[in-house]
Amino acid sequence: MKVKSRSILAVGAAAAVALLALAGCAPAGETPEQGTGTLTVWVDADRAAVLKDVAAQFKEDKGITVKLVTKDFGDIRDDFITQVPTGKGPDIIVGAHDWLGKLVQNGVVAPLELGDKAGDFQDVAITAMSFEGQTYGLPYSVENIALLRNVDLAPEAPATFDEAVAAGQALVAAGTATYPFLVGLDPNAADPYHLYPLQASFGAPVFGLDENGTYDASKLELGTPGGDAFAQFLATQGAAGVFNTNITGDIAKEEFNAGKSPFFLTGPWNVPAAAEAGINYAIDPIPTTGPDPATPFVGVQGFFISAKSENTLAANEFLVNYLGTEAVQTALYEVGGRAPALLSAFDAAKSNPDVAAFGEVGANGVPMPNVPAMDAVWADWGTTEVAIINNTGDPVTLWQAMVASIQSKIDAS
Amino acid sequence: MTAETLMTAETAPRVIPLKRKLTPGRWFRETGWRHVVGIVVVAFAVFPLLYVLSASLNPTGTLVGSNALFRSIDFSNYVDLFNLPQQPFAAWFMNSIVIGLVTAVGTVFLGALAAYAFSRMRFTGRRVGLLSLLLVQMFPQLLGVVAIFLLLSAIGDIFPILGLGSQLGLILVYLGGALGVNTYLMYGFFNTVPVSIDEAAKIDGASHAQIFFTIILRLVAPILAVVGLLSFVATMSEFVVASVVLQEPARQTLAVGLYTFVSQETSKNWTMFAAGAVLSAIPVMALFLYLQKYIVGGLTAGSVK
Amino acid sequence: MTSVLTRPTRERSSLTGILVKIVLLGIVDALAVFALFTLFMQQSWLVFGIALAVTLALNFIYLKPGLLPAKYLAPGIVFLAIFQIFVVLYSGYIAFTNYGDGHNSTKEDAVTAIIARSQERVPDSPAYGLTVLDQLGQVSFLVTDPDGEVFLGGQDRPLDEVTNAGTDGTGKADSLPGYTTLTFQDLISRQSEIASISVPLTDDPNDGALRTPDGSTAYLYTSTFVYDEQADTFTDTESGEVYTDGGNGSFVSADGTEIQPGWKIDVGFANFARAFGEEDIRGPLLGVVAWTFAFAILSVALTFALGLFLALVFNDWRMKGRRFYRVAIILPYAFPGFLSGLVWLGLFNQDFGFINQVLLFGADIPWLTHEWLAKASVLIVNLWLGFPYMFLICTGALQSIPDELTEAAKVDGARPWSVFRLIKFPLLLVSVAPLLIASFAYNFNNFNIIYMLTGGGPRNPEAGVDAGATDLLITLVYKVAFGSGTGRDYGLASAFAILIFIIVAVVSVIGFRQTKALEELN
Repeated sequence: MKVKSRSILAVGAAAAVALLALAGCAPAGETPEQGTGTLTVWVDADRAAVLKDVAAQFKEDKGITVKLVTKDFGDIRDDFITQVPTGKGPDIIVGAHDWLGKLVQNGVVAPLELGDKAGDFQDVAITAMSFEGQTYGLPYSVENIALLRNVDLAPEAPATFDEAVAAGQALVAAGTATYPFLVGLDPNAADPYHLYPLQASFGAPVFGLDENGTYDASKLELGTPGGDAFAQFLATQGAAGVFNTNITGDIAKEEFNAGKSPFFLTGPWNVPAAAEAGINYAIDPIPTTGPDPATPFVGVQGFFISAKSENTLAANEFLVNYLGTEAVQTALYEVGGRAPALLSAFDAAKSNPDVAAFGEVGANGVPMPNVPAMDAVWADWGTTEVAIINNTGDPVTLWQAMVASIQSKIDAS
Repeated sequence: MTAETLMTAETAPRVIPLKRKLTPGRWFRETGWRHVVGIVVVAFAVFPLLYVLSASLNPTGTLVGSNALFRSIDFSNYVDLFNLPQQPFAAWFMNSIVIGLVTAVGTVFLGALAAYAFSRMRFTGRRVGLLSLLLVQMFPQLLGVVAIFLLLSAIGDIFPILGLGSQLGLILVYLGGALGVNTYLMYGFFNTVPVSIDEAAKIDGASHAQIFFTIILRLVAPILAVVGLLSFVATMSEFVVASVVLQEPARQTLAVGLYTFVSQETSKNWTMFAAGAVLSAIPVMALFLYLQKYIVGGLTAGSVK
Repeated sequence: MTSVLTRPTRERSSLTGILVKIVLLGIVDALAVFALFTLFMQQSWLVFGIALAVTLALNFIYLKPGLLPAKYLAPGIVFLAIFQIFVVLYSGYIAFTNYGDGHNSTKEDAVTAIIARSQERVPDSPAYGLTVLDQLGQVSFLVTDPDGEVFLGGQDRPLDEVTNAGTDGTGKADSLPGYTTLTFQDLISRQSEIASISVPLTDDPNDGALRTPDGSTAYLYTSTFVYDEQADTFTDTESGEVYTDGGNGSFVSADGTEIQPGWKIDVGFANFARAFGEEDIRGPLLGVVAWTFAFAILSVALTFALGLFLALVFNDWRMKGRRFYRVAIILPYAFPGFLSGLVWLGLFNQDFGFINQVLLFGADIPWLTHEWLAKASVLIVNLWLGFPYMFLICTGALQSIPDELTEAAKVDGARPWSVFRLIKFPLLLVSVAPLLIASFAYNFNNFNIIYMLTGGGPRNPEAGVDAGATDLLITLVYKVAFGSGTGRDYGLASAFAILIFIIVAVVSVIGFRQTKALEELN
């Protein structure tokens, strides 16, 4: 008992010491002094590595401290929206362009004037960073999916989806492949993002465009005849087993890397693993399913300034003249593998044939819609795709029910 | 009854039945079947985690892509974990352990104080107080994080040492949950300690504080250990509040830090995350092994009569 | 041995006790005085008053003899009040506001944001070279246009040509006699002021104004919305449409068009009225409520039954290797929950999962996509996640049951099952029953597991409602309050949450009454 009570005491004492130690190294007096030149930047871990050097340079050049706060990427948007109004939020965040509608809707993001520099970036990046005619963020990367092809299995790039499936099925019949075509889907939510190019090829985008060339949430175009054709296409491919909602992204990746399928519809993020697995791959345009080209969604990432930042000049300087430089954009590309948004950095990165190939596919892509109404679209879209692929009902009826549901949610706003 | 007799009772050896040769049938009826149950349950408990272990040893694999476990044994994920300047795993590990231990000790202490009051004293509002403790924790704190953010930024204006970004501040937030269901667990256990012990000590001239700290707390050691462990595990895995309060990478906890490996749709590093998760389970295991002797270490409060 | 517990003497006890008490109270008071002083300087009177009251109360409790319960409860309650009660009150308050996407902050912030985003750069207008000057604290813009002509202007002072400006090597004017040129450091220290300056191009406001994002370049902007502070209205400069404060936390035009963002206002019970009128909830309500109760009760029952059973099985000191089994059982509890959730998702995969492929030799069972199987799967995973917790608390609680009691019963000839049913179980239930109630409440709102495994599905897309087979009330509420076109509506979600809380609380209080009866029984 004696021993026991001593060791309990020891734990208590250790805890007390630890408490004191913590108190000792707590950030004493670390209150950010507003307006005197401390920029607080929220970044995800990968980006933080690069920004650390840029921040040191900025401090040296301008005498302004850049405080990097590493946040989980998935949390940045919502924490930004809730914290900016309290006046304690950050000055700058890293984010994805499709957050923009929501950020503007909440009045938490400040417009960014790129001036003549706007022309130095890929057009699609600037379009993506614009909302209702105003530019808000400094883009740093552009990313899209394409068709990853196992050259050993399929020496020729297919032009149409039917060609791809025919080639794949021939391989399956010959026993050299297990899956004619791979795309990662979720059993509950399919994957509208990955299936979108095939849908776009039928001429059924999500939203129409307004006179500025940006998305107009009031023009829902999912329900056009092209949409019905796409629904029927999904049902056919589902019945044929080409699309299988049990093949998740992880499984698709694993099976493609095992050489079990000639085609894999995916993004640059899965290429390194394929190369490492020894797959002899090529990156091709996405095969068409209908009359239009199969244009993927383009995702752009960038940096945004808070609407309540009291360091707007410094923040602007940091974004435009530091993060917008070729050196930094290249460094960001090297750490994340995403193609740079700055044209000069992009051209340099194109020396990597993978980047060039994805870039070529993305060149006729469209930015993923950044209107707030997209939140209402994704859920219904995915569930319906699952239902259609699994042939649980008439595809056109299911598709039109989805369109009606999305429309009613948008109207409710 | 005096303290001496109490100690005698505590140190009294268990009544161990005489050793006798067990027939296999008897052995099975008495303890053998327990092993069968144990093996089945361990399989159920551990099996899904083998996937995590397997993924952590596979540098390129995915988390659940395949049923072929342990195709490669490679410790590079574990080595890499400690070599990432932006994701200081070692610091997270220490932070989590320190924050977890301090919170656990604080929770046990505050909870035990309250449980003692509820168990030994009769006062107005006792019943309602107990009920409120239960109900407060049930209230859906949809915007709890926003409230805590506002609260800590206000506290930080007065005591910068406790504000946003401070681990001490985070511990305080966790201690806010010290009175809750765990208090009940202790309360129930305190109730089984006979009041006669308190009274005997009181006659011997002990103050209420002495009775509580030197006698009662020891008798309820099993439940203190359980509550401490529960609190430690809860703190180790707490994500939402920690992610808002702690801002610098070097100050974050395991739960927050590890999540950064997989939070981006297009650059998930499941294998690294799995390795981190395996390592993060070790402190919990270690603490449980250490506390087991208090939880089931032979002496039970009830045997003190 | 006895030295640890020597018979305490009254004198020593009071001396150490008083000493410890005085030191601790002294520290608390010192901190409190510091906090009160700061609050006084900040003039936050309400918080000051509360802090003062708490400090006085604490001193009263610990200095006055007696008041024992308060002495033991106060430390925990202080923490509880600050970090839990406040949070509860805040969450509750939100239910009476329109807080959510689009109504995120104050009206002042909304006006600022609208003004900022309505500044549109005049198409094809050039970039102007800019030097910011200061004269007696007043800031002026020294502007060089693309033709090399130099102008001076300031807030509400239209540009005026100047000829005596000094220029740098590129032809950009960088100084003016009588004015101080601001360095970059000066700009930074006055950046809010400089960023808010807009210099009219001419006397005609429709020609636009120059603003600078960086202090070295100025651009020409026109405003698509003009704010009239007196009338509290925005006017669209193109269409002439006037937007007024419509009383709903946003500026609306006569035809009902809103400008984003709006702001947060109190809306009284409007969210509750909406909650009751919500068609998406009312339709599937019965089925969802039934499943929510079934899920919560079954989750508690299964985890408790398994946890208790295992606690009993491994509570036998004759058994070898108990420590190993116990540690293995705790493992599911030690891993991050969402990681385990993902693993289970993989295990249940219909075509590739271990359960179908290996355990069931290639069966084709739709674990997560069939209505009833999905319900069962969710319960299995929840059992896996929850039984270690129940095992732990049961193991702990079992230690309070004296062996003598059960030994005595055995001697009296009671069979093990009767010993358990009649002696151990009722005693155990006294201490764990409240935890079972808490666990019920937790599972009633167990959003994470549903979200992770099935997302509420499988759902019938033709049914026209969002509710799926595994949707709990809380996940359905989430879909309704956060999934519409406007985005997340925290006000509505909080109102729903309070309604759910009332249900859970009533059930819990009833359950609690039962435990009270239990307790008195013993």
